[in-house]
Amino acid sequence: MRLKARTLEGLYAFLLLFPFLFSLGVFFLYAFLRAVFFSFTEYNLFDPPRWVGLANYLRLLQEPLFLTALKHTLAYSLVVTSLQTFFALLLAVALNQPLKGITFFRTVYYLPSVISTAAASLLLLWLFQRTGLVNQGLSLLLSHLGQLGGFAGLFLAAQALQVAWERRKGAAVSFWDPALAALSLLVAFLGAWALGASGLLPPREVRVEIPWLPTQASFLGIPYPLWAIILMNTYTTIPTFMVLFLAGLKGIPKTLYEAAALDGATPWTMFTRITVPLLRPVLFLVITMGLIGTLQLFDQVLFVGGSGGAPLESTITLAYYVYGNVFPSGAAPRVGLASAAALVLAGLTLLIVLLQRRFGVGERGWS
Amino acid sequence: MKARFLMAILVLLGLALAQTQVRISGWGGTDIAIVNGLLKEVVQPKLDREGIRVVYEPIEGDYTQWLFNALSAGTAPDLFYVDIFWSESLFATGRVEPLDAYFSRQEVAEFLPNLIQAFTYKGKLYGIPKDFNTLALQFNRDLFDEAGVRYPHQQDTWETFEAKLKEVQSKLKDVAGLCVVADFARFGAFAFATGWKPFDEKGRTVLDQNFRRAFEWYTGLPKRGAARFAQDLGEGWTGGCFGGEKAATALEGAWIAGFLRDKAPNMRYGTTFLPLDPVSKKRGNFVYTVSWSMNAASKNKQAAAKVLKALTSPEAQQWVLERGLAIPSRRALANNPYFQRPGKEPELNRIVFQGSTAQGGNVYPFKFQAFGGDWMRPINDALLAVMTGQKTVDQALRDAQAALDRLTGGR
Repeated sequence: MRLKARTLEGLYAFLLLFPFLFSLGVFFLYAFLRAVFFSFTEYNLFDPPRWVGLANYLRLLQEPLFLTALKHTLAYSLVVTSLQTFFALLLAVALNQPLKGITFFRTVYYLPSVISTAAASLLLLWLFQRTGLVNQGLSLLLSHLGQLGGFAGLFLAAQALQVAWERRKGAAVSFWDPALAALSLLVAFLGAWALGASGLLPPREVRVEIPWLPTQASFLGIPYPLWAIILMNTYTTIPTFMVLFLAGLKGIPKTLYEAAALDGATPWTMFTRITVPLLRPVLFLVITMGLIGTLQLFDQVLFVGGSGGAPLESTITLAYYVYGNVFPSGAAPRVGLASAAALVLAGLTLLIVLLQRRFGVGERGWS
Repeated sequence: MKARFLMAILVLLGLALAQTQVRISGWGGTDIAIVNGLLKEVVQPKLDREGIRVVYEPIEGDYTQWLFNALSAGTAPDLFYVDIFWSESLFATGRVEPLDAYFSRQEVAEFLPNLIQAFTYKGKLYGIPKDFNTLALQFNRDLFDEAGVRYPHQQDTWETFEAKLKEVQSKLKDVAGLCVVADFARFGAFAFATGWKPFDEKGRTVLDQNFRRAFEWYTGLPKRGAARFAQDLGEGWTGGCFGGEKAATALEGAWIAGFLRDKAPNMRYGTTFLPLDPVSKKRGNFVYTVSWSMNAASKNKQAAAKVLKALTSPEAQQWVLERGLAIPSRRALANNPYFQRPGKEPELNRIVFQGSTAQGGNVYPFKFQAFGGDWMRPINDALLAVMTGQKTVDQALRDAQAALDRLTGGR
């Protein structure tokens, strides 16, 4: 008996796909169904699961820690996705310019993404300690506020003088002429230094000691430690997305820009009318990946909350809540509750991605 | 020739088959070298005669996660470490074998009673303590000499101790008297000194006036110029501040010895007991301990019991003690000549050993029923909030009490 060519082709396809389908079935589908089952039970890994219906889900709604985790996850996801998409695009456009030595800068800007989260978290702890670099920088800035003011005043005065002088001579210079500004900067710098050294504008004694990490204080509803994680994560993920944008930018035909330039389009018009619309597929990818990645924030919470001493209420996210309930410190596993929370997280991720697709940036470029 | 070779192989095979294998596990890190040394020099030679082979599988990474998973999946070893902190949650699962049938009363009585009590759950003994630790006060002799302040000693109360810390801190500008951490694992010892207990008869936690007194004293130390907050010195534990000479004293157990051996090998430090509560005239302390426990699903329970006995035998404990690695759990070792040796480490180990006895005052094991870390969190948050000036004592204690009420049941 001979198999039909189509059947044979299907068989081969299945054979090649089998390893993938198998791992998907075991590690995804089976695990998912188990999690759905456990979410309706009370289970501690040892005793047989006890059916409790919707009790776990109802308990989640009453648990303050879960609600905090939910709030943090949503806020974190929204802020980080917006920031990283915006800055990655900005950086990609800048690095797409045909300048000499641009490859060097592309490499340098890509470096942050190769830092491991553990190392980045350690860096974050050092930066945001009460005696860390951030507070020291702020102290320095505030204590030299007088001199900085003096510097700005001197610069403006020097620049105004020079511009007036040049205009009187008949030269049509702008106020921000770079050559004049360079000289003004030098004058302002020396002047400010002289003012400081002579004691006319002495530095004030300012010591900023804001506890950035061991605190529950918040800004715009997001606790300080979470802001610190937001900054760190944005910094380390921008480069990855920047590369995606760069690849997208390379695919836009130059002729479009040339035609637009002939029609007299400004750079801003070219950016909004050519670059952004043609980047839509990449933008969709970046936003979707960003949302999924940020909704599952976990490791930084573990590092900053664990060894950094930030209170759990200030950093907890849904992924950490799930982990913390499967392996609570010193207590029996609460697998049922954790499964319910994990399913809420999965549902939330799906919902947000669908909403994004429906109302945000679609995957279609242009038609 | 050929026949003799075949014979030899058969004999070896026979021996191998006659041997019973017992798998044991504990956490990795420095413990690997210790347990390997112990097995090679003390335990295995003894067991060879009985035809028992010990297979040691240390676990790097999160040991607790691994053990809970392995026990629930049925792949756990015959013997394993159990930390007192999560012991009750584990014993409650029924996956740990009660040891009463394997150890006579007399054998059990040779171990320190409070350690045995710590591993007794619902009247049954679930673990034999392998070693333990308590808190002690370490002080840097050079820094105290430089400041011209008397060394802390065992008659010190919180007040006299604080006065010494203040003097050191004011005379040596860049050295803190003590660095304090927002952690019940350290602060708790002072709360116990007042007579406060973590749970009342109904199993609830009440942060009463005694607790408040200890809380106010401890959190006020930085404000009164006697201590600094550890994180402000870039450290996470009091030993870190002490090793870097950022603080003149530390509140740690015998584990600090190994750290100081690497970090500050020439430091001249002394050790004494924690200071006394000026009101109750008592001190408090924690017992941190780890047991060897048996898997209830083990197929070689009798052999495992023999291995357990060898691992906690007087010879094994003497071996560990003499290397300055841990404090043994046998009563008889209290009068061990090692403790009387001159030197900073024997002194540290002696004080830590005695910390578990009447000299330690009100001593409780480092466990909080089956609540674990969830129970400590509200108290740690309160300590942190007050020490960093974000909440008043009243506010912080009110919030902590509310959280504890949610956990242990309202009053």
